[in-house]
Amino acid sequence: MSSTPELAERKGVYRLVVAEDAYLIREGIRSALEREVEEVEVLEYCPDLGSLLRAVEADPPDVVITDIRMPPTNSDEGIQAAATLRKEHPAIGVVVISQYVSPHYALKLFEYGSAGRAYLLKEHVGHRIQLMEAIREVAAGGSVVDPKVVDVLVEARMRAKNSLLSRLSAREREVLAGVATGASNAAIAESLFLTKRAVEKNINSLFAKLDLTDDKTTSRRVRAALLFLADSDLEAGPDL
Amino acid sequence: MNSSAVSRELAFDQLDGDIELRDPAFGAGVRKEDFAVIALAFAGAAVAAAIVATGGVASDPTTVATVLVANIAALALGGLIWRRGRPASSFGNLLLAEGVLVFVSALSGSANSVVHLIGMLGGWAAGLGATWLLLSFPGSRVTGAAWIVMGLAVATFLVGELPLMLLSPKVVGVSGIANCAGACPANPALAVDAPGAAAAFRHVEGVLQLAWGLGLLFYLSTTFAWASHARRRLLLPVFATSAPFVAAFAINAAVFDLAGAPPNATARAIFAATRIIFPLGFIAGLLFARAYAGEALAFMARKLVGRPSVATVEQLVRRVLDDPQARLVFWLPRSEQFVDRHGTPVVLDPAYEGARWSAFGHGDVRVLAVVHDVVLGEDPELVTAVGAASLLALDNRRLEHDLLDSVDALRASQRRLVGAASAERRKIERDLHDGVQQQLVALRIRLELVRDLAGESGGLADRLAELAADFDDALDELRAAAHGIYPPLLADEGLEAALREVARRWHVPLNAELDDVGRLSEDRETAIYYCCLEALQNVAKHAGDDAVASLRLWRDPKAVRFSVSDNGVGFLSRPGAKGAGLTNMVDRMGAVGGTLAVRSAPGEGTTVLGRVTIEASDRVGDVVHA
Repeated sequence: MSSTPELAERKGVYRLVVAEDAYLIREGIRSALEREVEEVEVLEYCPDLGSLLRAVEADPPDVVITDIRMPPTNSDEGIQAAATLRKEHPAIGVVVISQYVSPHYALKLFEYGSAGRAYLLKEHVGHRIQLMEAIREVAAGGSVVDPKVVDVLVEARMRAKNSLLSRLSAREREVLAGVATGASNAAIAESLFLTKRAVEKNINSLFAKLDLTDDKTTSRRVRAALLFLADSDLEAGPDL
Repeated sequence: MNSSAVSRELAFDQLDGDIELRDPAFGAGVRKEDFAVIALAFAGAAVAAAIVATGGVASDPTTVATVLVANIAALALGGLIWRRGRPASSFGNLLLAEGVLVFVSALSGSANSVVHLIGMLGGWAAGLGATWLLLSFPGSRVTGAAWIVMGLAVATFLVGELPLMLLSPKVVGVSGIANCAGACPANPALAVDAPGAAAAFRHVEGVLQLAWGLGLLFYLSTTFAWASHARRRLLLPVFATSAPFVAAFAINAAVFDLAGAPPNATARAIFAATRIIFPLGFIAGLLFARAYAGEALAFMARKLVGRPSVATVEQLVRRVLDDPQARLVFWLPRSEQFVDRHGTPVVLDPAYEGARWSAFGHGDVRVLAVVHDVVLGEDPELVTAVGAASLLALDNRRLEHDLLDSVDALRASQRRLVGAASAERRKIERDLHDGVQQQLVALRIRLELVRDLAGESGGLADRLAELAADFDDALDELRAAAHGIYPPLLADEGLEAALREVARRWHVPLNAELDDVGRLSEDRETAIYYCCLEALQNVAKHAGDDAVASLRLWRDPKAVRFSVSDNGVGFLSRPGAKGAGLTNMVDRMGAVGGTLAVRSAPGEGTTVLGRVTIEASDRVGDVVHA
């Protein structure tokens, strides 16, 4: 891959390699991607980590969609693949699909760098917009976290008394959740029916309240927001 | 009564029969032969007294009769006590034989010259017998240097008295008390009346008799001085009662036989008194030994209460036996040999059983042996007491070991059960995840594809949206259920990740300090995980609304530890009053060999502390920090 194409300017077709060992899910993904023939071309479907890495070596794609748990060990092959590709092919975006709602896995994926990485729940693979956004984001070097994973965290944090989240206004919390999913300011503005400027204002104020450093790079921003939500301590999350 | 009760009763009867309650040394009735001996002794004493009193030969018949009666009675009684107290020893028989000789010596009180001579010879025999008793005590044989003294005694008779009997018309006798006052019967053994030669032999006899007495005194003194404490207990009474008698005997020889002083009533009275006392020492010695054995048993019983180690028991045996070389050895029935407490085989010569070692056990079954100094072979009461006490103490220890073994076995099987249960739960979670949950996820994907086809509006689209929402709810519930069965993070990532996830989702404020503790075996990870969960639930339920909980997980070189504490209302710990939750936690930890402690006081919150030892198979430090 040459340079990371800007999302807006992207023309043509994303070249994909898909790795998923479960037949039913693989067929689901196939059907979902077949709708997007204009934007997506699947080079190969692989059943395990080894064949995925071989397929990438043979013909490097733009994006890899991989199951988190596959043969040979059925543990976290998807995350291993992401880590390997970060070293060998830093330009390839990776969408890890998983049945786990636990943010542990998303955070683990981001431990090797959040740029060009997405964590998507498998049941949302059929969702055209979510799937395609994840593919476009990672291809562009952005980050995406499944909103459901973020919701679980926000819910838990809201239940806890004395949470730092209680310092935020309802609007700010919604914006924070949006940031944590990896949505761009424009996308957050659109989903919350706000102006882009209002979103920026909210982000500035909530990052100040939470003592977080606002990073202009969205992928790092996602990780910071997610880590903040995932950190159960009453103190502010780690400075990134 | 059912059959099992009957058989149990029978078994108890048999058990009673197995135990020999009629110990020959304890509380037994008088046996027939004992009666015979006592009757004989009485008769003998009476006859002896009568002979002396009516013979008109003895110069002081009352004293002589008293001495004879006292000696016969003491020797008969002593013989019986020894025979019963130490059936293995023949010393009791020696005492009885000596009693018979004393009776024979009473015949010297007869006016009949032949009977008188037999009595005189009996007196000599009794004197030699007494010497034998003193030299062999507490055994029954004369050995070593004692033979010199015995030789002197025999020489006194052969070289001194025997020629005198052939050359002198008047037989003097070995002891000063039986001297005839002047009405001595004629000497039937007189061969040649040679007063000059007789005087010379009388002199020789006096010298030899003095040497005999002094030798015996010297022998007794040195034996006592060199004796071990154990032996002294037995020797002391004998030494105390025989020394005056032997001393008086030697002085008599010097004063009357050698210096030729005339017979003296006072000297006779003193000698008579020492002779009466003399045999009592043999009885006292045995009783002293028995009393000491009783004390030793009581002492050991007191010391053995605190579950002593084998080494401690052995130390105690050494101290009580006063034998620093004493050892306890243990019988291995399978290999049929003794081993010491380090397991080294010890060969014991069966010929020395009782003398150098004594075995103890139940019935015919050997359990252990006490290896001791040969001197202690003379003190079997003590060795038996010590051996029996050791047996008791070590039996208790063995029982305890058996008990601990079974507790260990129980714990191991409990752990296997818990391990099997958690493995099973994990498998169920896996099956749900890879099976029905996966199918639901695949269906959910297809449903989304159908929704896509149905467009964004219209009745069908609305229905499908509802269906999708229901589907999501079902998936959530299934996820929660599977997670409840076994948290997949625990299996995949270990304690730190799983507990961090718990902390993230916890609904009350929680400070979590979780270290990377690596991976433990599955059963122990599960135990710690659920204990933490249970403790956190207790905080939520009982600590109060404002309580803040802290969850810590860390490790030191030996163990993985966790603590769940809160600053809530606390509770008053009462021993024995554990809630079901706490008991559950303690059981969980106990099953994997861990420990759990709970500290709480009203107003001071509650802290639950747990600890699981790290085992060789654990992959601690295996996990890389990112």
